[in-house]
Amino acid sequence: MRIDWWTLGLQTVNILVLVWILARFLFRPVAAIVAARQAEAARLLASAQAARDEAGAARAAAAAEAARQAASRGETLKAAEAEAEARKQTLLAAGQAEVARLREAAEVDIAAVRRHMEDLAGDRASRLAVDIAGKLFARLPEDARIAGFIPGLAAALAGLPEAARTAIGQDGPVPLTAARALTPAEAEACRAAVSGALGRAAEIAIQVDPALIAGLEIDTPHAAARNSFRADLARIAAALARAEAAP
Amino acid sequence: MTSPLVMQPVFMLGPVAITMPVLVTWAIMLLAGGGAAWATRGLSLAPSRLQAILELLVGAIDGQVGDTMQVDPAPYRALIGTIFVYVLAANWSSMIPGVEPPTAHLETDAALALIVFAATVIYGIARRGLFGYLRTFAEPSWVMIPLNIIEQLTRTFSLMVRLFGNVMSGMFIIAIVLTLAGLLVPIPLMALDLLTGAVQAYIFAVLATVFIGAAVGERRKPSPDRKRDTP
Repeated sequence: MRIDWWTLGLQTVNILVLVWILARFLFRPVAAIVAARQAEAARLLASAQAARDEAGAARAAAAAEAARQAASRGETLKAAEAEAEARKQTLLAAGQAEVARLREAAEVDIAAVRRHMEDLAGDRASRLAVDIAGKLFARLPEDARIAGFIPGLAAALAGLPEAARTAIGQDGPVPLTAARALTPAEAEACRAAVSGALGRAAEIAIQVDPALIAGLEIDTPHAAARNSFRADLARIAAALARAEAAP
Repeated sequence: MTSPLVMQPVFMLGPVAITMPVLVTWAIMLLAGGGAAWATRGLSLAPSRLQAILELLVGAIDGQVGDTMQVDPAPYRALIGTIFVYVLAANWSSMIPGVEPPTAHLETDAALALIVFAATVIYGIARRGLFGYLRTFAEPSWVMIPLNIIEQLTRTFSLMVRLFGNVMSGMFIIAIVLTLAGLLVPIPLMALDLLTGAVQAYIFAVLATVFIGAAVGERRKPSPDRKRDTP
């Protein structure tokens, strides 16, 4: 038995070449594809894990959000109830204030209407009284509408304070208002009565005002003396009004 | 009568005598290289049946190397895998009528043993450095230096002789039985020879792994992402 050195060398080279061939065409590509699959599997696992973690986080966030909404819903309901109660109280107070204001305004209006009606009734009564008085005096003699009032006028002048009586007639004739035009005798009687009441001679200036109905009036800037039906009726009306206004 | 251990050149290539083991090895190289190139031309992440078989083979080699050496199997995959594939193919080539397995001749086994020996030295120096590798011969004591050197040579020799003896004896037994008995009698022995060839390929690859692992000398856990059961 002997060694064939050529065969030994060739076989050594052949095996080394085969090592290179199989490394190039078999082991390296297969190991690479296995590594690639492992990397892909690891990537998919990591992706799945990340997706699962993300889903878990989203689920936890949703649960937290649901809990937060449940808690805030109770608080919101309480706040809404409190707000509704406050608004109800506000509206109630505003309504009550509005009702009070309307009632007050209505009372004011009623009082005004009542006063207006009373004024109208007073005017109507005054006119009615004047008409009645005028019709009644129309049945009397004409001189009764003047002569009967001269003494009263003198008494009214005499009842004035001294200073007022002194001032009357200082600026000129004493203005004398009569219910009708005076006859000369009546004018003279009036002048005599005024002079007597003032305690000195005085001239008079006669004016006619049928509204007096009957009687005489002296109206100066310093004093006034009224003795007429109009003045009497005005006093009566004032007295009636005071009597109605009294509780 | 010529000895069956003596090879006759098939043809001469200049001064070089081309013998039958060389021709069969070339045929194995052609088939293995062409087949590998054809089988790996369309690898994909979703493996076909053929790709799954290839991945099973590579995974088994990686698992064996990783378990034996406790290192990343990538640098040693091509050498160990080629030794296993070639020895298996060479042993099983005896099933083809008229073909003698290259491993039944001492030159092929010697070439394999020499490659393993050279790989042991090269990987050892690459991993430990020249002085680090030489220092391993003095372990556990300098007294062991001669014995360790003898061990390096004898284990390489035993690697060669073991494969040669098993394959050559199987081939001789089949030839003798075929000469003495009828046509169908050697069939069980041929089936046994298939099993013996596979076992010898596995043993040769594992011993090569052990020798290289001892020269490299590192013991660390394989990387966690390496799946031992990867197809």
